[in-house]
Amino acid sequence: MIRFQDVSKHYDSQTALRKVTFAVGRGEMVFITGPSGSGKSTLLKLIYRAEKADEGIIQVMDWTMNALKDSDVPLLRRHIGVVFQDFRLLDNCTVFDNVALALRIRGTQDRELKAKVFEALKLVNLRHKADSFPPALSGGEQQRIALARAIVAEPLIILADEPTGNVDPDTSAGIMRTFKDINARGTTILIATHNRELFRNTGRRVLRLDFGNLVGEEAA
Amino acid sequence: MGSSYALRFAVGSILREKWIYLLSVCTIASSLFFTALTVLLLVHVDSATRKLPQKFSVMVYLGESVSPEDRDKLVALVQKDSAVEKTVFISRDDALKELKSTLKDSAFLLEGIGENPLPDAIEIKFKSESFGPEAVERIKTAIKDMKGVQDVEYGEEFLSAVHALRKGLRTAGVAVAVLLIVGMLFVSYSTVKILFYRREREIETFKLLGATKRFIRTPFLIEGALIGSVGGIVSLAVLFALASVLVRQLSAAFPLLKVLSFPPGLAFALPLSGLLIGIGGAAIAIGRIRY
Repeated sequence: MIRFQDVSKHYDSQTALRKVTFAVGRGEMVFITGPSGSGKSTLLKLIYRAEKADEGIIQVMDWTMNALKDSDVPLLRRHIGVVFQDFRLLDNCTVFDNVALALRIRGTQDRELKAKVFEALKLVNLRHKADSFPPALSGGEQQRIALARAIVAEPLIILADEPTGNVDPDTSAGIMRTFKDINARGTTILIATHNRELFRNTGRRVLRLDFGNLVGEEAA
Repeated sequence: MGSSYALRFAVGSILREKWIYLLSVCTIASSLFFTALTVLLLVHVDSATRKLPQKFSVMVYLGESVSPEDRDKLVALVQKDSAVEKTVFISRDDALKELKSTLKDSAFLLEGIGENPLPDAIEIKFKSESFGPEAVERIKTAIKDMKGVQDVEYGEEFLSAVHALRKGLRTAGVAVAVLLIVGMLFVSYSTVKILFYRREREIETFKLLGATKRFIRTPFLIEGALIGSVGGIVSLAVLFALASVLVRQLSAAFPLLKVLSFPPGLAFALPLSGLLIGIGGAAIAIGRIRY
């Protein structure tokens, strides 16, 4: 599903990723961990083409990123759901419209859209906040809206950048349960986190990054 | 983006940024108003001067000794010119009759005159499309030295002045209209550009979620179209109100105002121009979207 071969990424004189090689199969749920600045976010950004690799080969589904045309980027992104570290919610739109945006971009019809949005909001326990605006919600609630938006269109891949960064342990456990359920339906999931508690005893693969190097791979 | 959602999104954005939009609508409305006013002025001057050839004619006065052959030659030469509509021969007797009927009650003034002092004459009428000082001058030069021609008379200075005025007004009008249209494009461009920058993060989110360029552009184009067409409708309303008041209130004092017409085409032309200018400015402002 996802394959990195000797991938490097530099920002000016700083190296964000150095010769990283790994592969994630269809339906896997994999954690990427490492301290702040180790390259976790960069690695995810390379998958949804928010960044371009300087060296190496990246393959996502049937696309080879190095050869991906600009016009194909929206199509690639519509196959991926992303939980952004900074949520990227639209403050002027209701919770409903924020989640619905992922479907509207995909051209989903209104009737189907409504049912799917409410289902996704129910999954993250925010059905009752559908008419609220993001600034009126807590950080944890905003994070769950971002999660609902990432899963609502049932993408083939979900990427989550610190998805439990702003939430209490109970909510965090709830979010992880949601990921597990979605993964059980066959969705490939990559979660970048520095919180070891999140993958402890999950039995999932963990890729460990340090200063841009992939320093190890283990089963949690 | 579904069209109803794009429209809702655009309207929502307009309501959030109502002051910027209001300012843009006012600027576009006033520019369209002055453009329409300029065009109206040009249309009226043009239609007034277009009627000139029907009233204007060149009179060629013939000498007493001119033979019918020389006269026919003269007429044939004049009629060869593409600007000439027709020629009318006015005999000295007909001219005297007309003079008497013109003078009516004062016809006694002519009683003391024994012999008819008026010469035979040829009146030259022009085609409206090729009428102008150049055509009149060309004919005058061609016939003035011909045998039998005593004098060639026309309102030379008046004709030149009217044509200079017409040309000048047309050039100035086109220049003003072009300037105002460029100005309106710039207003629409600036408004959308400002909002584009203000919503940069929003647009970036759209892109990251997989939105196509069309999905991102549509609301901005709708906003541009709305600014422009509302501006057009406002300018139309102001122009119509002004024209009605002018004709109603002032036509008693200035009868000329009665001929002022309000072309019905403007009812479509102004909102449509606003719409196109709004969309054009927005399209330029959005520019190329890169991923």
